[in-house]
Amino acid sequence: MPDHRRTRHTMTTLRALALATALCAAATAGCGNRSSDRAAPAAEGARPAPGGTIVRRIEADCKTLNWVLFTTTYENEVLSYLYDKLIDLDRNLEYVPVLAKDWEISDDHLRITIHLRDDIHWHDGVPITSHDVKFTMDRVMDPLVPAINKRGYFTRLDHVETPDSHTVVFVWKEPYAPAMAAIQQIAPIPEHVYGKGDFLTHPANRAPVGSGPFRFEKWKTGQYISIVRYDDYHGQKAWLDRIIFRVIEDNAVALSALRAGEIDEMRVTQIQWERQTNDPDFESRFEKYYYYMPSYNYIGWNNRSVWFRDRRVRLAMTLLFDRESINKKIYSGFAKLVSGPFYVNSWAYDKSVKPHPYDPRRAAKLLDEAGWTDHDGDGIRDRDGVKFEFELLITASNIAQQFAQLLQESCRKVGVVVRIRQLEGATFFDRIDSGQFDACALAWQLDPDPDVYDTFHSSMVPPKGLNHVFYSNARVDSLLEAGRREFDRERRASIYHAIHREMHRDPPYTFVNTVPEKRPISRRIHGVVISPLGPFDFYPGARYWYINTGQDVARP
Amino acid sequence: MITYTLRRLSYLVPTLLGITIVTFVIVNLAPGDPVKMINQGMMDSRVSPEAYQGMLHLYGLDRPIHERYVIWLRRLFTLDFGTSFIDHRPVLRIIGERLPVTLALNGASLFVALLLSIPLGLYSALRQGSRFDRLGGTILYMLYSLPEFWVALLLIMLLGEKLHLLPIHGMESIGARYMGGAAHWLDRLRHMILPVTCLTYGSLAYLSRFVRGATLEVIRQDYVRTARAKGMEERRIVMRHVFKNTLIPLITLLGLLLPTMFSGSVILEYIFGWPGIGALFFDSVQARDYPVVLALSFITATIVLVSTLVADLLYAWADPRVTYH
Repeated sequence: MPDHRRTRHTMTTLRALALATALCAAATAGCGNRSSDRAAPAAEGARPAPGGTIVRRIEADCKTLNWVLFTTTYENEVLSYLYDKLIDLDRNLEYVPVLAKDWEISDDHLRITIHLRDDIHWHDGVPITSHDVKFTMDRVMDPLVPAINKRGYFTRLDHVETPDSHTVVFVWKEPYAPAMAAIQQIAPIPEHVYGKGDFLTHPANRAPVGSGPFRFEKWKTGQYISIVRYDDYHGQKAWLDRIIFRVIEDNAVALSALRAGEIDEMRVTQIQWERQTNDPDFESRFEKYYYYMPSYNYIGWNNRSVWFRDRRVRLAMTLLFDRESINKKIYSGFAKLVSGPFYVNSWAYDKSVKPHPYDPRRAAKLLDEAGWTDHDGDGIRDRDGVKFEFELLITASNIAQQFAQLLQESCRKVGVVVRIRQLEGATFFDRIDSGQFDACALAWQLDPDPDVYDTFHSSMVPPKGLNHVFYSNARVDSLLEAGRREFDRERRASIYHAIHREMHRDPPYTFVNTVPEKRPISRRIHGVVISPLGPFDFYPGARYWYINTGQDVARP
Repeated sequence: MITYTLRRLSYLVPTLLGITIVTFVIVNLAPGDPVKMINQGMMDSRVSPEAYQGMLHLYGLDRPIHERYVIWLRRLFTLDFGTSFIDHRPVLRIIGERLPVTLALNGASLFVALLLSIPLGLYSALRQGSRFDRLGGTILYMLYSLPEFWVALLLIMLLGEKLHLLPIHGMESIGARYMGGAAHWLDRLRHMILPVTCLTYGSLAYLSRFVRGATLEVIRQDYVRTARAKGMEERRIVMRHVFKNTLIPLITLLGLLLPTMFSGSVILEYIFGWPGIGALFFDSVQARDYPVVLALSFITATIVLVSTLVADLLYAWADPRVTYH
C-alpha cells in the first residue's frame, strides 16, 4: 500500500506522521537488537563462506533501477547492492573512499578533487572513468530528467571538471559545508550504456549495468527482483550467491511469509513487534533488531495563521500535547521524545535541550498572555472576535489519528477547538506545499548532514522551499547561513546547537518524537551490522551478510 | 437486426467521447501534482521554477487542458496511450503486463463460480423449500457477507503459515522457471488456489440465487407442465427444457460480469501479490499517473459498453421471442 514518504533533500523524506506504514523510524545513533547492539555472530571461530540465497522483502515494487531516476527506499535498497558510490559513509558516519582512491579539498573549499581507482570496471567489463561521473552529474542536473531528489543537493555546484580520465573535480559556487554530503550521494552510472538512446525509457533502466559486488539478474514486475554476486568485483567479493527482493505489500501477509520461511527479514509494525513475534519459535528463528533512524514526527503550525503567528501560542500548543503519554500508549515506551530538528544522536543535536513538558496550566497562562481568552463566555477562547478554532490536517494513518485526537482532547479542556481533517495523500501534500493549512501532523526523514536551511530559513517558504509553516526568525536565519559556511566540525556544532536552543524558545513546530524501526532478521543470516543510519544506508551496509560458514574454506 | 446493431454501434462513439471528456477533466482537475508525485509528493526546495517548468513541459502539462485533451484524443486513434509519468514505459505495455494476471484470476474465478453455482441453483430450485435449499442459501449468504481481506488473511495463516499446504504469496515459486513444464504449471495452480477461492466464494450466493430464480420461473411454465403430463423422464425435463431456458437470463448477467473480468480486485491483488489491473489502477491514481489512469478508464468504459451490446445481441439470438428493430 502507499507510503507517504517524501524527500527532503535526497534520501530525506517527509512522511505524514509515521504515515501509512504505521512505523516511523527515528533519529539516533542508538541501535541494536533487544539485548545489545552487536551483530548476530556466527558460531565461534566460524568464518564466512560463499554461497546461499536470501530473500528480502520490499514493500512496493521498484519503478526503475536507473540510479539517477530512482525515488523510493526500495529502489535505493536494491541499487545499493548494484552500485558503488564515489565516497560513502561508514558505520561511524565517517567518509570512506569506494570508487575513489582518495580526495582533496582546496583551501578555499571551492574545489573538491576526487581521484578514482584505476582498477574499477562496470559489470560488462568496461572501465569506470571520470567521464562516467561527469555523464552522471550531467543527467542529474538536466532539467528534463526527473532527478529532483538528487539535483537538490547540487544547487550550489558550479560545474564538474574531468582533467583526466581518473580525476573528477566538483567546483562549487561558494564555500558550502554540505558539499561532501552531496558528493556522498553520487553513484555513477555507465555512460557507454546510458549515453545512447532516450534516457527516460532506456532498456537499462530495468536491467542495469552496475559497479557493485552484486549484478542484476532478473526483474519480474510486481513479483520479485533477483541479483547475483559479481565475481569479478574490484573490491572484497560478497558471500551470498543471490539476493531476491520479494514484493509483498501487505504487512500481515509478509509476517506469515516470514514465519513460513518464505522471506528472511522484514520491517514489522509496533503491534506485530509486541504481540505477534514473541513466541519461543519465532525468537529462536529470528533476531529482533530495533534501531533509530534519522527522522522525527512533528506537528506543524502555520506561522502565518491568526492563531499561530504568536510564539507563545505555538509554545502553548506544545505544552498541551502530552507526548510522554503518546509514547506510552502508542509506542509502548519505544519512541524517544525530541526537542529539535536534528538527528537525535548526531553532533548537531543539543542534548542539553530537554523536550518541553506536558503542562496544560502553563499553556493556558500563555494563551491568556497572548490575548486568547474567552471574551464572549461561550467556552471557546477568542481574540478580536476570532474564535480559537483551527483545522488539523492529517493523512490516513492510525497513528496520526491518535495524535490528532489526543491534541483535540487536551485543547478542548482549555477552550480551543480542533477540527480534524483527514485527506488523501496527494491532496494532503498539495495543501501542505502551498501553505494552505492551519496545522498538520507530519514527519521528516533527515540527511546525515544537519543543514536544515531549506526547512526553516525564512526565504524558503512555499512555493520556493520546504518551510511550509512559514517560520521566520532572524536569528535562526543568520545561524543557518553561518552553518553552511562553517567547515570546522566543533564550530559548526555550536552553530546548530544555537539553532536548536532558539527553536526551543521560538518553536516552528511541536517536535514530537522519533520512533525506532523494528526488523526481525532470520538467525541463519550472519554479519548484520546496525549503523546510526540503520542496517542498510551505510558502507558496506548489508552487502557482506552471509549464511554459510566454514573454518578454512578458500575464496572461490 | 443489422440496422439495430449498426444503430447501437453508432451510439457507442458519442458515449465513449463523453466518457473520455468527463474522465479527462476529473483526472486533471483532481488535487495533486504529477510532477510533485514523482518525487513522493514534494518538490525539492532547491529545484528552480525553471526546472519545474521543464518537468511540466516534459510531461506536456504546461498546455491548457483542452489542448491536452485534443492531443490525447488524437493519439488515441492510433491506440497510443502515451508513456507512464512514473516509469516512462508505454502505457499499453504496462497494461499488457498486468492484464493476463487479472484475466487469469478472474477467468478462473468466474469458471469455478459458474461450475458451482449453476448446479447449486438448479438443485435448490428443483427442491425448493427443502433443507438443502434453505441451509445452502443461508450458508452462501453467510459467505457472501464475509469480507474478502479477512478471509484471505485467515486462509493464508491457516493453510499457508500453519499447515504449509499452500503457498502464501505470489504467482509462482521463486525459481519456478527451472522446474520444467508440468511442475511449473502445477506450481502456478497451487498459487492460484487461495486467491481464486477468495475471489469466488462471495459471488456464489449471488449467482446460484440467480440461477435458482430463473429456474423457478421456467418450472412454472406450461411447456414444463406439459412435458411432465406426457410422462417425460424428469431428468430430460430438467436438462432439455428447464436448464436450456434458464441460460437465457444468464446471458444478460454475463454481459454485466464480463467487464468485471478486466477490473481487478485491488485488495486481493495486494494481499496475494498478483500484480494485476486493480493494483495498477490504484497505484496510478495515488501517483497521479494521468496516462495510465486515462487509458484504464477508457479501456474499462469501452469494455462495459461493448459487452452490454454483445449481451443484448446474444439475448436476441438465444431467445427467438426477442427481436430488435
